[in-house]
Amino acid sequence: MIIGGTRIRLEARLTSPRWLVVVVPVFSVLFALVVGGVFLLFTGHPPIRTYRDLLDNGYTSFYGLTDTLGLATPLICTGLAAAFAFRMNLYNIGQEGQLYLGMVGGAWAGIALAPHLNQFIAVPVVLVAGALFGAFWVLVPALLRARMGTSEIVSTLLLNYVALNLINYFIYGSRGFFRDPTTPFPQGRLIDESARFDSFGTTNTYPTLIISILLAVFLFWFVRRSNYGYETSVFADSPQAARYAGMNSIWLTTSVLLISGALAGLGGAMYVVGPAGKVDPGLLQTGLGYAGIVVAALARYNFVAVIITAVLFAGLRVGGSALQASSDPVPIAIAVVLQGAVLLFALGGEIFRRNRVVVTRVVQTAKVEA
Amino acid sequence: MNSNVWLLTFADAISIATTLILASLGAMITERSGVINLGVEGYLLMGAVTAFVIGDSTGQLWLALGSAIIVGAAMALVHATLTVTLRANQIVSGLAMVIFGTGLSQFIGKPIEGKSRPVIIEKIDFGVLSDLPIIGPVIFGHDPITYATWLLALVISLYLHRTRPGLILRATGDAPATVDAQGVSVKRIRYVHTVAGGALMGLGGGWYMFARAAAWNQSATTNGIGWIALALVVFASWRPLRAIAGAVLFGFCLQVPFTLQGQQINILPSEIVSMFPYLMTLAVLVGLSTPRARRLLGAPKMLGQPFVRDER
Repeated sequence: MIIGGTRIRLEARLTSPRWLVVVVPVFSVLFALVVGGVFLLFTGHPPIRTYRDLLDNGYTSFYGLTDTLGLATPLICTGLAAAFAFRMNLYNIGQEGQLYLGMVGGAWAGIALAPHLNQFIAVPVVLVAGALFGAFWVLVPALLRARMGTSEIVSTLLLNYVALNLINYFIYGSRGFFRDPTTPFPQGRLIDESARFDSFGTTNTYPTLIISILLAVFLFWFVRRSNYGYETSVFADSPQAARYAGMNSIWLTTSVLLISGALAGLGGAMYVVGPAGKVDPGLLQTGLGYAGIVVAALARYNFVAVIITAVLFAGLRVGGSALQASSDPVPIAIAVVLQGAVLLFALGGEIFRRNRVVVTRVVQTAKVEA
Repeated sequence: MNSNVWLLTFADAISIATTLILASLGAMITERSGVINLGVEGYLLMGAVTAFVIGDSTGQLWLALGSAIIVGAAMALVHATLTVTLRANQIVSGLAMVIFGTGLSQFIGKPIEGKSRPVIIEKIDFGVLSDLPIIGPVIFGHDPITYATWLLALVISLYLHRTRPGLILRATGDAPATVDAQGVSVKRIRYVHTVAGGALMGLGGGWYMFARAAAWNQSATTNGIGWIALALVVFASWRPLRAIAGAVLFGFCLQVPFTLQGQQINILPSEIVSMFPYLMTLAVLVGLSTPRARRLLGAPKMLGQPFVRDER
């Protein structure tokens, strides 16, 4: 491209400098705030004040920050779920449904099993049940992808709508197992006390946050240091090379998707163990599954970075809810607009990581005067 | 229950198929050029909310639909810039557009939630023909956009298979290097068809708002129709005319839960019946994954692959 005597061209980089890994996401967020600001301006909300309120309510006040950390807990899980699958070019976008199923699985274990269990293993059992239900929800797409090559993208996504209807059925459509029998008001049946965590003090942060963080660190270590992690990395770079080296692609594809589903399901179970304590349709409003994809992409599928991006995005959501409830209500959807915009800019910014922008002066041959 | 109800369901299916056809035609020409656009759901939502807002403030139906088209094209332009020029991951870019479109449509749609439609698309009055039994409601009971959509499918089909630009388009999806060697710009073809595809998706959303949706609903205006349209592209094996038949079939599945509800038939809870279209779509995808079906499908060979000349 030539503009006014200078030529701008992109040159592939062999290695990308470390600072760009930070600079690109930071600028993506800044640009997204500008885009969001334009829409705020058009709808009559002063952007600067709105953003200051967002910052206050989502991050810098004590209860804002602890609410954010509480919401980030399951979001880290869905982010890890997306990162784990996406880094292997397996696009599981069914975290939303797997999260719901994790909630169902967790609630089932909390109601049916927890009363018979020792207090110390009740919570782990609920979490594991959630993970298993999440994995179960991705089982069919995983097998189809591994065995027949059916695109996992559309199949996992379609199951989100099935899961959504399933939750509605459990709470509104039936008087079954998951519904509170003591009230005609449609709501979930509470799980056993022994299977619940207390929050830290008066905050909305639960000890499950520590589990999420440890899990992210573990995965970071696991894919770099384990044999299995190495195989997934090879498979991600070149499926042909992986097959040539004797790796079992059917097993790798299936297991990666199942683990991804389990991670998202675990997030749903954490919601049960923590704030909800039951199958709660409130989870359907949070969009944590879809946000997990954004969180993972912004973290460039780095598991530890997912922690940071998850907290950032949870803060948007928490701050957004506060804005909606304020005297000058801003629709909470602004949080989702910002998420989408951040992701779009981060994607565009990738080119600067992979390429160097070279600007050279073009010596133009002077036109001969007549 | 009488057979008339099912006839009306079928007529409704043909009507709802319009959005599915428009969206899948859009996705189809995009994919034929080698670009995947997974953002359909986001385009439909943005098209719907734009059409509503413009229709509400001006009362002009065609202006509203035109704005929906422009918004769809603009979103697709962003997608094309990211994926063709900046070579970003097409799948993630499409998903980003779904998230962005969902968020922005809900942001814009907040003040109009629950408001009734400002304008509606009138059905064409064919006089005597509309009163004919069976074919009256099924064939002569629709609005102009529906008929235009059928015509459009035919035109795109002819364009793809009977014209030189159509040949180049198909070649771009199958063998971009060859197209490039012919001296034709792969980038330009991908840009043009991605943007045109987005415009069709936007129109699909706008039409849906005025013809099918009762009002703007924050959480369930399009209800996953965009994703069903993507499955429909595979079902129609990237051929426009087959998309019509497929869309009617999928449309029927979308319509059945409403019919059962309207008839007070409660064999199954409504939530379970509502899963039906998605499960059916999934079943169709599975059926199309058998090796035999795969051979017959003929997906664009370089679908989703960015084209970089230097690497050749």
